[in-house]
Amino acid sequence: MFPFYFHVALASFRRQLAYRWANIAGLITNTFFGSLFSFVIIALHHARQSVDGYTVTDTLRYTWLAQALLMVVMPFAWYDLMNTIRTGEVVSDLSKPCDFCWYWFSRELGRSLYYTLFRGVPIYIAGTLLFNLGFPAGSLQLLIFVLAFLLAIVLGIAYRYLYNIIAFWIVEARAMVWLAVTVALFFAGSYIPLYFLPGWLYGLAQVLPFNGLMNFPIQVLLGKVSPAQMGWAFVSLLCWSVGMILVMRFLTARATRRVIVQGG
Amino acid sequence: MLQNVFDDLRLYGHFLELQVRSQFQYKLNLLADIGAYLLMTGLEFVALLLYFIPFPSLLDWKVGEVLLLCSLTYTSFGLADVFGEGIDHFSLIIRQGSFDRFLLRPNSVFLQVLGSEFTLRKFGRVTQGILVFCLALVLLPRSLWTLDKVLVLFLGVLSTATIFLALFLIGAVICFWTVETTELINMVTHGGREMMQYPLTIYNDLLQRFFTFIVPIAFGAYFPTCYILGRPLPFGFPAFVAFLSPICAVVFAFLSSLLWRIGIRHYQGTGS
Repeated sequence: MFPFYFHVALASFRRQLAYRWANIAGLITNTFFGSLFSFVIIALHHARQSVDGYTVTDTLRYTWLAQALLMVVMPFAWYDLMNTIRTGEVVSDLSKPCDFCWYWFSRELGRSLYYTLFRGVPIYIAGTLLFNLGFPAGSLQLLIFVLAFLLAIVLGIAYRYLYNIIAFWIVEARAMVWLAVTVALFFAGSYIPLYFLPGWLYGLAQVLPFNGLMNFPIQVLLGKVSPAQMGWAFVSLLCWSVGMILVMRFLTARATRRVIVQGG
Repeated sequence: MLQNVFDDLRLYGHFLELQVRSQFQYKLNLLADIGAYLLMTGLEFVALLLYFIPFPSLLDWKVGEVLLLCSLTYTSFGLADVFGEGIDHFSLIIRQGSFDRFLLRPNSVFLQVLGSEFTLRKFGRVTQGILVFCLALVLLPRSLWTLDKVLVLFLGVLSTATIFLALFLIGAVICFWTVETTELINMVTHGGREMMQYPLTIYNDLLQRFFTFIVPIAFGAYFPTCYILGRPLPFGFPAFVAFLSPICAVVFAFLSSLLWRIGIRHYQGTGS
């Protein structure tokens, strides 16, 4: 069965390759926004050199890494699964001789790999060229980052899947999707680096799963996480992933038992 | 001539009424929509406020001053977004071929595009702009406000809204050639909005000039704010230039309407 899922992922990777111009436009947009945030950060630091041990360079790196991770872990308008439910196409996916959850999981893995290579990496390089970021980490940190990043991809897919299958129960769920994405982006550290938040809010952010989407991998790469914190974060994020995947499977099973297909 | 304008406005009013009525058919959905949208834009703003807890100021600008600039940008972008949503969704009209139908009708094409989409939730951004303005009022000294400053504020909001609308229109014109709205025009509209939350001088010189002289959003939003706060205008402009934002907006709108006309003449249908 494994080769099948591998080919699903590969096909989805290839499908993305077709949208070359869209990706270039997206790259330019992400770079533009990354630059805007960078100018704001530099201007803020005029009044104060460092905050809790984080310097301008740290925060600039944080910002660009968040921009680089954005399309990998939290693509903004991802309605792919929801749309198949709305149009009724979901029936053909459900009748494929494979597990519905793992089918979408593999598809999204392929997409994530594409965005890592063709969006994430180029964005960080652009940021380095524009704002002289350099590369923050040594090889051990990089290795831990890769693990944290894989976990981020899994969490991202599970979360995306969850707010999309709402469509089995609510047909027009776009408002929910915006809400889900906005809250996740805020607590992932995409709007503001989480260490700038007041203590109680930072504490809350660290126990939520969104911490694992951006903030945790980025902080690992910046070398700001102690081994003890790291262990704790990995355990908690692993629990979140397993929990979310279980909920994912449970809801899918419930939905498909009584599925009433939209459309004709 | 005047009769025509009057008729057009009545027709536009009718379009909007239809859109509003259809949204009230799904009350729960409308409420969820409005709530989600408010929370979404609200959270972005909260992030901006939170920056001012660890940092006292942004390149000498205090929170209240930044908030004034924000409120001007939010309100004017919000107004443009409310009334220009039809233009913003123009690629859909082109792709589905409905534009051919618009051309056949004996009414202004522009008006039909403008009236083709109107969603109540978009008022969220305007509401947010007004709320942020109230917050700025509390934080800024009362003595700041004189009659000329109130005037410059109103001119600024109207001009910036016009400029954003004209930008949406340029984005729509591009659709005549590309069919899809390109993400690049979003960079100028949404990027311009994002950028104009903060004082212009924090950005690099090229960006400053681009958003002042080519896409004059800074002219509409930043110059009036500087005037109100008693700060010097950028590029050594004398203070009275802040009152010229309407002229700038009208010229920019006129240029974009020229492009629109060229686009319509070019249009050959998507032929699906």
